[in-house]
This record gives sequence, structure tokens and C-alpha cells, in this order.
Amino acid sequence: MKQMTEAQLNELEQDLNAIRDEVLADLGERDANYIRRVVRLHRALEVGGRVMMPFGFIPPVFVAATAALGLSKIIENMEIGHNVMHGQYDWMNDPSLHSQTYEWDTACDSDSWRLTHNYEHHTYTNIIGKDRDYGYALLRLSDDEKWRPAHSLQFVNYILLSVFFQWGVALHEMEFERVRRGEVSLKEKLPFFKGFLRKGGRQAFKDYVFFPLITFPVAPIVLAGNVGANLIRNLWSSTVIFCGHFTQDAETFTEEECEGESKGHWYLRQLSGSSNFSGNRFVHLLSGHLSYQMEHHVFPDLPAHRYPEISEKVQAVCKKHGIHYNTGSFAKQYGTVLKRIFSYSLPDRVRQRIAPQMA
Amino acid sequence: MLSRIERSSALQWLGKQLFNREDPTAFFDPLLERINPMWVQQYTPARVERVIDETADTKTFVLKPAKRWSGFEAGQHVNICIDIDGVRRNRTFSLSSAPAQWNDQSTVTLTIKRLPGGLVTNWMHDHLQAGDTLGLGEAFGDFLVPEASEPLLYIAGGSGITPVLSQLETLAASDYRAPVTLLYFVRTQADIIGAEKLYSLRQNWPAFTLNVVATNESEQPRFLRESDLEEVPGIKARRCYLCGPKGLMDLAGDLLDRQGIAEDRRHSTFFAAARAALDTDSLGGAVHFSRSDLNVSSEGDAVLLDIAEAAKLSPRYGCRMGICHQCSCKKTSGTVVNRLTGKSSGPGEENIQLCISVPQGPVTVEL
Repeated sequence: MKQMTEAQLNELEQDLNAIRDEVLADLGERDANYIRRVVRLHRALEVGGRVMMPFGFIPPVFVAATAALGLSKIIENMEIGHNVMHGQYDWMNDPSLHSQTYEWDTACDSDSWRLTHNYEHHTYTNIIGKDRDYGYALLRLSDDEKWRPAHSLQFVNYILLSVFFQWGVALHEMEFERVRRGEVSLKEKLPFFKGFLRKGGRQAFKDYVFFPLITFPVAPIVLAGNVGANLIRNLWSSTVIFCGHFTQDAETFTEEECEGESKGHWYLRQLSGSSNFSGNRFVHLLSGHLSYQMEHHVFPDLPAHRYPEISEKVQAVCKKHGIHYNTGSFAKQYGTVLKRIFSYSLPDRVRQRIAPQMA
Repeated sequence: MLSRIERSSALQWLGKQLFNREDPTAFFDPLLERINPMWVQQYTPARVERVIDETADTKTFVLKPAKRWSGFEAGQHVNICIDIDGVRRNRTFSLSSAPAQWNDQSTVTLTIKRLPGGLVTNWMHDHLQAGDTLGLGEAFGDFLVPEASEPLLYIAGGSGITPVLSQLETLAASDYRAPVTLLYFVRTQADIIGAEKLYSLRQNWPAFTLNVVATNESEQPRFLRESDLEEVPGIKARRCYLCGPKGLMDLAGDLLDRQGIAEDRRHSTFFAAARAALDTDSLGGAVHFSRSDLNVSSEGDAVLLDIAEAAKLSPRYGCRMGICHQCSCKKTSGTVVNRLTGKSSGPGEENIQLCISVPQGPVTVEL
């Protein structure tokens, strides 16, 4: 992380606050119309997908139905659920778009998400030991963690995590690694686990029991389509999220350097620990604008569709303060993520020999 | 049809599983709204049928609520919600029409005066047109007509006449025989709200006496005075109904005390007067945590999260710096100042972040 004096950090804070204030002052009908349009698109895709699915014995219809349902889940999770739960639309005072009551279409219980993501991940971003999103307690992605032989298989773990991403996220708060180390007891985790069963059960019931059953003669087709739609969503969201913090230049931090940090330091850490990728409007929509992860991490509660507009200003602030604005094409950024997962699966000595830039 | 699903508990349960929400029927709103705004399920929609000018600054909105609306009693009020610049605003108004009109024509009326600086009333005057829809809550309030026939006195001021209009019309239609007197205080004769209705009641309903007093037409303001009450025949036996601005209500209260009219024979209802803008130094105030039924007072720039914790409550919180929205919570009334922006909230129901909201005067929070 760039070393900055307190005065410089204060200036950074003011520069970013100015961008934030400008957007806040301008929030209104345009933002409300945007999110309502996206919600309408989601409803149309979900209804369309579910209605077409029983006719999936016609192959092109199966593809269209699965794609529509998959897209609907992606849009609901990324652009609606994730962003609404950040409080981006609380100012609208619409109970159906309120951060504390919104429940999304994925196995993870919203209350658990609000705790592990909104609070833990967004407050302690990339602080090793405090941000459990860093590697999901499953992957070794920096030198902060010592290499163990089990890490050599972490690429397989990564693929499994991506395939079952909604379940991984849903069980995140279970803290298996801490339970295993005896830091928390299973009993303490019981309330969480009940919540997991309720929400996860509800999601599994809907996609894997209810909709196949009511379309009984074609149940296998509907089941396959629903599994496919969930898989599409899992792979895409996992990929987008990995591109947000695990690219080559996304930094990690220690607890010591962040102790009692100022807002300016928090801003600097958010910028240094996040990374963007470029793309067209459709890509940004499907990623819930997490393709602007840096903007999202400095302003998590500004409506995400504003990130493209403020990106230039954030870049200018970064340039002024000499902070690296970490962006690139999707392929390039994702490539560095894969490389990171692979190279940290190797023992340090091997890694330094074949991938010295990761050392 | 969808609202019928609400009533079946098995379907309701299934809906919650499928749509991940407590109001599953509202899941389709974004699509239904496009086809017909009256099909929206999240709130009870009401279509504006007509807008009638009452006075220079007062309009009557004739509304046709969706069939599932449960109706009301004369003198009750409703919450309405309207999206203004993307923000849903909730406000309470009295219904000015009689329940008979709802039963016969399925319409109700709201008679609304522009409040100086008022966001919602001015917006309604300037933008709300026939064909638009707004959200209507269920009626509530205990400002109701007497069960048995007895002499009545109404004292109303300005737009405080609205629930009174509903009651008078209801009484007249029930052929109410006991004497009914209305003392109606208006600034000038041009400010009489519901003039046509009142004059026609006076003509066709023998039990009714109308006394309109213009307060601002003479050099000295002409307020309610003792002689106004003394001129009402059999004043001491009358049941009294009050609705108007605070000054009039206080004055009437004192004068009715002197007439020896017992508290349980007096009824008054709220009057939505705009609170004068508070100066920004006057932070702090009485805080009511409604779910825990706890009252505390705060001083200076203490935020609601600290105030709640000092009161031994443990609201959910996260970053305590306005980032994570873990502590977002519903404020049902009162004004708060955002510590980060220094901006004041509106007075109505809305969501606030406890960790950065400082009370400015009395505040009620759902906690």
C-alpha cells in the first residue's frame, strides 16, 4: 500500500467525500427508475424462464429457458440483491427495496450476508485474518499464509467453490476453519445453521422440488434446467467476485497497519485492495457493477449504476495521489486471478522460480 | 384475484418460499403496474378521478381505491404514499367525504391545503392529476360521530374542517335531529373549504347551525371568544368536536373548561401543521423507542445508536460510521439530522441509519 502522511490521507478523504456528496445530492427519480427497470427485467426473465422450462423437451426452448432463468438469478443477485442490501436504495423508502428486509434468490440467508459481507468484508477488506472473504478460508492467495501441502490442490477447490458458489457463500458464516481450530463451538453456530437450513432449504425446495413436481411429466427437464440456471449464476458470480480482490495487483493488509485507522486510510485500503475490469453496459449490469469494484468499495452505498459515471473522477483522484487504478479487460484480470490461485498453490521456492512476479 | 391469495395461509406460505418475501403477491408488481397500476399489490392503489379547486390554496382529490380497500368511518384519516423524485413519501390526511359516497360510488375524497414549504402537499397540488395513482392505507382514528343522538358542537379551523365535513354529511344523511352547531374559523371568507357543501347542509338540514368566522378580515384578528360559545344554545349539554391549528385548539380547550364541559365529552383529532424549521443548534430531544416502549431524552449531537445503547437496547449495528447499513431502522415520526451531511430528514416515516442520525426534537424509532 502506498505510504501516505496523515495530511495526504485527509486530502484523499476530502477528495472522495466530494465525489460522494455530489452523487448524494443528485439522487432521485433517475436512480429510482433505473432500479425499477432492472427489477422489471428480472421479473420478466424469471417468469419467462419458468414458463418456458416445461417446454424444454424442445432443445432450443430448453436453452432459452435455462438462459433466461440463469440471467434472472444473476441480475437478481448481483444488481438487485447485493446492491439493495448495501442500502444503495434505502433513500427511496420503498419497503421492497430496503436493505434490512430484502431477501435474495440464493441459498445464503440475507441476515448472514449483511453480517459477513456488508460489515466484515467491507469494513476489514483484505486484512488477512479479519476479512474472511480473502480466499474464503479455502484458498491461499498471498504470502501472509504459510504454504501447506494441502494447498497444492487448491485449484480443484477453487473449481468446486465456483460450481457450488451459492452454497459456499451460504455456509460462509459457519466458519468451519475456526470451528476446526476450536475457536468457536458448534453450539455457538447453531442459530446460524438453523437460518442456513431454512433459507437453503427454501431455495432447494423451490428449484429442485416444487417446480419440477408441478410439471411432473417433464420433471427431469425442469430439474435439469433449474440446476443449469443455478450453475450459470454460480460460475458467473464467483468469477466476478474473484476479479474484485484477487487480481495480481490487489493488495493485502495486516491488522497492525489498520489499527485505529482514519477514514482516509480506510479509503486508501479500499482502493488498493480492489480491482476493476472493463466491459460493455451489459457486462456491468450482469456483474452488478462490481466490475467497478474500486468505486464500489469506496462508496458501497451509492447506487451502483452511478459507478461508471464517477469512475473518471475516482481515476483522477487516484492519479493525483499516486494510487494505482487497477483495471484491465475481463480476460486480463481473470487471467491474473487464475495465475494467483495456481502459483500460491505451489511451495514458495517453486513459485519464485516459475512465477517470480508473484513473489 | 391476487389479493385473495393473501388470505389463504397455505398459498401465503408457498408464496413466501417461492418469492422470498413476506408479501409474495407483490412480486409481480413491476410487471402488473405496467399493465394496470390498479393491480399493484404492495399497497392499495387509488386512482385520482377528479381534482376540484376548493379555494386558492386548497384542492379536493376524488379517489377511487382498489376494491379491496376496507372503507372507513366518518372522521377517520388515512396514510397515503406517493413517490416524489424517486422517494416514497408517507403522509396522513383526513378523509373529507362521507362513507356513504364510498358505499355508493366507490370513491373517497381528500381535501388538502398547501402547507408553506410542505413537500407533499405542494407536489400534490402541482403534479397530481386525474388518472394518476397513489397508495392508500387502511383508515384509522377515533374521531367518530356519537353513537346516540345528542346536541353537538363542532369547532374547526382552516383545513381542520375536513374530517368535520365527512361527519356532518353523515349525520345529515342519517336525519340527525339533535341540534348541531359548527363554528368554523377561516382567515377570510374566500378561504372557506367545502363552502358549497356547508351552505347546502345549512339549507336542507334544519338541525344544523353554521357560524363562519373570518379571523383576518378586520384590523384586529378575530379569534374564538367566550361569547361565541355562550351564543350556542344549551352549550353545556353539547358533545364537542375540535379540529384545527394548535392556537385554536388550545384556546377552545380553555374556553370549554370554563363552560364546564367534561374531557370525556370532547373529541379532537390531529391537525397536520408544518412544524416551524428548527434552528440547527437545537439538537437532541425526547426519543421514543416504540417496540421496547421506552422513552429517553437526549442532548447535543448524540446519535440514536448511542442513545439506544445507553438505554440498554442492543440494536443491530456494524461499522458505526455510516457505511454498512446494518443499523438501518424505521423512524415513524420526528426529524433527525444526518451527522455526515448535516442535513435534516423529513418529519414522516422513513428509514434511517441509527449510527449517524441525531435527533432534532422528539423522535419515534421502531426499535
